[in-house]
This record gives sequence, C-alpha cells and structure tokens, in this order.
Amino acid sequence: MTARPETDGHGTRIMVVDDHPMWREAVSRDLTEAGFDVVASVGEGKQALRIVASVRPDVVVLDLQLPDLPGVEVARGLLAATQGVRVLVLSASGEHRDVLEAVKAGAAGYILKSASRPEFLDAVRRTGAGDAVFSPGLAGLVLGEFRRMAASPAPDAPRLTDREAEILRMVGTGMSYRQIAERLVLSHRTVQNHVQNTLSKLHLHNRVELVRYAIEHGLDSAPQ
Amino acid sequence: MSLKAPLWRAIALFRFASLAYAAVLLVLRHQAYAHWAAAWGVLAVMTGWTIASTIAYAVPARRTWPLLTADLVITAAAVLSTALVQKPADFEHGVMPVTATWLAGPALAWAVVEGPWAGAAAAVVIGGCAVALRYSTPASIYRSTALDGPTIILLAGIALGYGSRLAARAEQALQRATEIEAASRERERLARSIHDSVLQVLAMVQRRGAEAGGEAAELGRLAGQQEAALRTLIRGDGHAALPAGELDLAAELAREASALVSVIGPGVPVLLSEKAVRETAAAVRAAIDNVRRHCGDDAKAWVLVDDEGGSVSVTVRDDGPGFPSGRLAEAAAEGRLGVSHAITGRIRDLGGAADVVSSLGSGTEVRLRLPRASA
Repeated sequence: MTARPETDGHGTRIMVVDDHPMWREAVSRDLTEAGFDVVASVGEGKQALRIVASVRPDVVVLDLQLPDLPGVEVARGLLAATQGVRVLVLSASGEHRDVLEAVKAGAAGYILKSASRPEFLDAVRRTGAGDAVFSPGLAGLVLGEFRRMAASPAPDAPRLTDREAEILRMVGTGMSYRQIAERLVLSHRTVQNHVQNTLSKLHLHNRVELVRYAIEHGLDSAPQ
Repeated sequence: MSLKAPLWRAIALFRFASLAYAAVLLVLRHQAYAHWAAAWGVLAVMTGWTIASTIAYAVPARRTWPLLTADLVITAAAVLSTALVQKPADFEHGVMPVTATWLAGPALAWAVVEGPWAGAAAAVVIGGCAVALRYSTPASIYRSTALDGPTIILLAGIALGYGSRLAARAEQALQRATEIEAASRERERLARSIHDSVLQVLAMVQRRGAEAGGEAAELGRLAGQQEAALRTLIRGDGHAALPAGELDLAAELAREASALVSVIGPGVPVLLSEKAVRETAAAVRAAIDNVRRHCGDDAKAWVLVDDEGGSVSVTVRDDGPGFPSGRLAEAAAEGRLGVSHAITGRIRDLGGAADVVSSLGSGTEVRLRLPRASA
C-alpha cells in the first residue's frame, strides 16, 4: 500500500499464533523477509499463553480459530500476561462476534487473511507502531457495537462523536486514512487519532463492565 | 430408559397387590375351603412366583418364551389347584378361585412382551382354566357370570398389548430422532472445520496468486471469489429465527459479496420489512452494476450497512475515478443513468432518500437512507 521499502521491520519482535502450518510458515517467512524478528511461531492457544512472557513479543499475529482454546480467550490472556504486547487478529473465517470480542478485549486490529502481503505487512508495522489497524470489516463491527450501545438504556455507555461516526463509516466503505483526511480536510494523524479513540472507548468500557461484573458477583472479595 | 419400564413396575405392583388381596380373601372365606392349610401352600407358591417373576422380568434379556411359558403354567396350575382345596359347593356359589385377581399376571406380561395377540392368548388360557373350574361341578346357578372375569382379563391383555406396542414404536422413533440429531450435529461440526480449512487454503491461493501475477493472478482472483461465496454461505445459516414478515438486510446484502465487492455489516441482523429488504437489495445491485459499467471489471466496491436505530443507511462506494459534481444531474436529466430510477425511485417508494456523491479521485458513493416504519 505505502511506498515504504519492505525491509523496515526494524527488528520488531513478532509471535505468530495460527493452527494452520501453511499459514504459520507463510506469515513467518513474509515477516522475516520484511525485517521483522519472528521470535515464536505456535499452533495452539495454550502454548502461546505459556511462552508469551518469556519470548516477550511486541506484536502477536493471532488467528482466532484455534484447536484448543477460543481465540478471544487467547487474546485476553496474551494481553493480561504481558505489559505492552499488541495483538493483531488475522482471521480467515470472518467470525464477526469473535473478532468484535477480541477487539473489545484489547486487540489492536483486525485484518482478513485474504489481504495482500503488502497490506498485511503494513498492518503489522502499524500495530507495532501503536496504531489501530482498522479493516473496513472491523469499522463496520465497531460502528454496529456503538449503535447497539446507543440503543441500550445503559446511561454510561460510551457514545461516538459525529466526527468519529463519520470517519468510521468512511473506513467501512474502504477509504484509506489519506483519502479520509483529504475529504474532511484534516491531517492524516487526526484521522488516525479519531479511529484510535473509538477503540479506546470500547476498551475502557469493556474494562468498566468487567469490574462492574466482578463487583456485582462478589469476585472482588478475597477468596476464602 | 425404556418407555416400557413403568409398565413392568405397574405389573409387579399389580401382582403384589392382588397377592395381598388373595391372602385377605383366604382369611375371610376360610369356611369355603376344604383344605385351608393346603390353600396357604398354594398362596406360598404364588408368593414365591410373584417375587421370582418380578426379579426375572426386571431384566429385558430374560423376557423370553421360557419365562413367559413358566409364568403361564405356574399361574394356570395355581388357578386349577382351587378345585382341590375349595369345597365344591362353595365354589359353586361364586367364591373366587384361590388366586383371586392374581391370575391376570401372565396375560399382562405376555401382552407387554409379545403384543395384543399374545396377551389375548394368555388371557384365554387363564380364563379357560377359571371357566373350567366353574363348569367342573354339574348344575351351577353362577355359570352365567363365569365369563365376566376372563373377559376383563382378555380386554386388559389386548389393551395393554396395544399400548405396549405403541410405547415400543414411540421409543424407536425417539431413538431414531436422537440418532439423527447427533449425526447432524457431528456433520455440522465437521462442516465448520472443513469450511475453515477450505477458507484458509482459498485465502492463501488468492494471496499467493496476486503476488505471482499473470495466470496465477487469475487463479487467485477465482479463489478469492469462492472464498467470499463460501463465507457468505456459512454465515447464512446462523440466524434462522427472524420475526415474521421481516428479513435481515445485512444477510441479504452479504449475498452480493465477491472478490471485488466487500459487504460490511454490524455483525448482527439488521431487521426491516421483507419489502424494504428486497427493494433495498435490488437498489444495491443496481448500484454495483453501475460500478461495473462505469468503472470497469476490476473496480472494487464496498457496501456498508449502518443500523442507526431509527433509520438504516446503506452506502455503496467504489474506488473508480469518480466524476465531477454536476455530471450526475446532467446524466439523469438526459435519462442516461440507471441511477435515477433503479436506485433513487426504489428507495423513495420506501419513504427513504438516496443521493450520490462523487469527486474526482475518491470514487463514487451512493447513499441510501431508509426509515424504520415501526421505530
């Protein structure tokens, strides 16, 4: 997509979690060729959770379809196990609810396996740099989630600003940040911040919900 | 658990209850017996057989002809022993046989095991013994009622046999239904796993093909089309229960997805009236056709469904060259563009609005907005 050379991974540490050997190898090879440092490549969720603390990846490329654990649980566990790790969901099956749950749990982005290699590498690069990677599909899901929360009676559910909704809809119709910036006469960075904000709101809300759930169910008291 | 188990419990209960009844009658009518002690001997045999048969019938594998025959023979013998232990004169006056109602046991067991005809046959044998007792002494004024008991046993045998057959058939049907359900669940599980593998491979072919270029690129494009089609198919069978008269717009539009057309929805059903969904889908198809016609065969398009609660908006955007604003009105005025009628007309009929936005460089966007009638 961008005109950057393909060898600017700068040694970002990557862990690949995918149960299909074919994909695991292809993804690892592409990443290595592009200058990323693939520190681990595993096919099972439990294994990923076991080693993540010791291999300390910057970015985990995660397929949600795993044989042993639900992908969402793996995403949650990875994020809880290591400070600062970022999870990029790479999925072929397009399981809507799973993707949304993973993103709410803190995954930084979502890209389909059918994306081209430059698109994929760009997504990993941006995830490593701390940006949200929004495919049109994810924008649609996030937009839908906010619409549902707006329709629910919960008073403290987060809301999208008009600008954020507008930008999400543009991402949802396949526009690049650059095109959106031109259309809205904003800087590329501002567009990115708006997108990032929508995710932060979801993450924050998700955490608040988890805490509330814990308090309501008495999970905050020390175990006997 | 077998549906017949309650029947066997009922038969066992019947045997024990009628055994107690026979014992009570034996105490009350002791003056009718010539050999009262021997009658108690018969009752002891009946008690033994009640216990033995209850234990024997409890195991399905033992419910076969030897047991059934033994049951019938022992019961018939107990009935016939009446002739030896009761006084003929009192017997004549309508005193029950020493077995009392206990004699019905084999007819019930035969009926449950072998069906109504076997139940009837056992009832006839037992009833025949009872009737033979009545006719064993000459000139009885009670002969007229001699058939009452056997008739009831016969009726019970046939009815229970019929009920038991029904229970057996219901059980088979239930068993088959359970098997079918388990098989289809397993098939679904396999299908999900196969679908996932196929999607993985198709996505890989698409990716590698696009990189290789040339003929491989064409293969990759085809694989991508099939991936999109398969994903639509898999997604389609998730939401079976829709309210009557409504359809899921997101699912309906997802059918339009292909390698070049991405359909993006909120991940949950977007319910609208059937008419609204059909007309909107037709309008979206018209918009996609326009993309093909004006932007070429390799232009990409995105369809975004946004459910805002009070209204639903659908945006169709392409990555074609776009055109300067004003051109569209011009084209519509000349009647050249299909946009006017196929899209705008349809949406306006639904009470919604449609507009087209385009600028050079960022493609063309068709925006449809539909009100929710009931909201």
